[in-house]
Amino acid sequence: MAGVLFALGLIGLLVRRNIIFILLSIEIMLNAAGLAFIVAGARWAQPDGQVMFMFILAMAAAEVSVGLALVLGLQRLYKTLDTDAASEMKG
Amino acid sequence: MSGSDFLALSPLIALALTPLAVMVSIMIRRSHWAAAAAAIAGLVVSLVLLGAAANAAPRQVTPLIVVDAYSLFYTGLIAAATLAVVLLSYGYLELQTINREELYILLTAAAFGSAVLASSSHYASFFLGLEILSVPLYGLIAFLAARKRPVEAGLKYLVLAGASSSFLLFGMALIYFDLGAMSFGEIAARLGGASFALVVPGSVLILAGIGFKLAVVPFHLWTPDVYEGAPAPVTAFVATVSKGGMLALLLRYFYSSESRGLSPVMIVIAIIAIASMVTGNFLALLQDNVKRILAYSSIAHLGYMLVAFLAGGSEGAAAATFYVTAYFVTTLGAFGCVTVLSTRERDADRLEDYRGLFWRRPALAAVFSAMLLSLAGLPLTAGFIGKFYVVAAGAAASIWALIIILVVTSAIGLFYYLRVLFVMYERREPEAPEFAVLPAAGGGALAVLAVLLIWLGINPGPLVEMIRAAVAALI
Repeated sequence: MAGVLFALGLIGLLVRRNIIFILLSIEIMLNAAGLAFIVAGARWAQPDGQVMFMFILAMAAAEVSVGLALVLGLQRLYKTLDTDAASEMKG
Repeated sequence: MSGSDFLALSPLIALALTPLAVMVSIMIRRSHWAAAAAAIAGLVVSLVLLGAAANAAPRQVTPLIVVDAYSLFYTGLIAAATLAVVLLSYGYLELQTINREELYILLTAAAFGSAVLASSSHYASFFLGLEILSVPLYGLIAFLAARKRPVEAGLKYLVLAGASSSFLLFGMALIYFDLGAMSFGEIAARLGGASFALVVPGSVLILAGIGFKLAVVPFHLWTPDVYEGAPAPVTAFVATVSKGGMLALLLRYFYSSESRGLSPVMIVIAIIAIASMVTGNFLALLQDNVKRILAYSSIAHLGYMLVAFLAGGSEGAAAATFYVTAYFVTTLGAFGCVTVLSTRERDADRLEDYRGLFWRRPALAAVFSAMLLSLAGLPLTAGFIGKFYVVAAGAAASIWALIIILVVTSAIGLFYYLRVLFVMYERREPEAPEFAVLPAAGGGALAVLAVLLIWLGINPGPLVEMIRAAVAALI
């Protein structure tokens, strides 16, 4: 179940080109990991899994807030949310 | 927690309070000078407190944090490197007109995260330290938000870092599901011989998360872009502090949880090390941008460190730790030179910016040459001694294939370092725009780094003794 959710998020990350959807896919992957932690915590009847889930929630919120700030910057500079537009540097 | 627990934690507490001190100084009055001074004061206090904490060490403070000679060594290294970055940033930011004080908040917060990584002994503190390190980095990389490249680099880093931390978390969850424990010590105890279905896939996923932060092949794709896009002092920070904390954790995790027996994971690491050394050195040959050259060279250097890690034992850990120290000094110096040459409009990252540097600024060119020679691993520099110890540790563990690849690829690496050197000593009339005066703080930091580089190259004995004592705590 968590594995499927994780895979869905990863596919979304790879396929989507819109930055908002990419951020959403990352959230899905993080939540899949959180779900796996809760299941594991339930298996061992320990609170640790849920504690980790709290940490993941807090971190995802922090990450997405910084991410949206950068999205605003992207929109201001490039007038688009397409990630292909913002690839001036090539490795 | 008892009094000596607090004493043991005091360097970390000081590091955690530093961003707050900077914030308060900005609240009272927005002054670039005061913000930088607050950051420097906090870092110096935590460096001083290391001595006090060493008396209380070794000590397990809560299940999450372990304070021993090893974690204190890395904490000191991280705090000192951050100090150098703050000094370099000061002159760099003086040229900018934006609000610049916040950079110091982010820098010191990220340094705290890296120090937590170095002293963590539990998945929870591993994850928290990683995120305290990563989230400020997004802001740091995109700090010059009016330019296009920093924003692009920041977004790329954010997306990939987010994905890699979800890999890491998923791997942790798998291992927790199988073993029912999250502290490194208990994982080792429960692994003890029995085989578990999910431990190997979990370890590989965790390795992907670690590999991303270390920027080793195949998780290196962000490195050149982020190095090029980020402001030069921030690049120095990404290259040193963020990787140092993670490498400290990698050593501790695999030494304490004794997953060294997990040979599939070790084979994966060996492949990663080979791919990093080869790819890093070959792709660096193709670059024209100094920051990108340094980016690929750092990928290769992380590969060398992994060779030391694979050698294993106390020799391997000592060699890796010495290499990290030498790499810190060298990389800070190299990016420091890029920083002090940068102008208001852009960073000095084109090869053209360095043409004839020697005839305009002999001292700076000499420092930059020393840094490049150390990266190339020529004698009399810290880089040479570092490589020497890595090869010695590898030979003791007889991993000859890795050693041969290391030697061959570093010979290839010599080419692109020499290319930059030749450009610097080329004679040319100085019609390029003259650079502003060398910022005093950055120049001073560079001078100290150059002296340290040569000193470590000539007389590495005291540091080696210190590192031997530190890694003894690990095993």
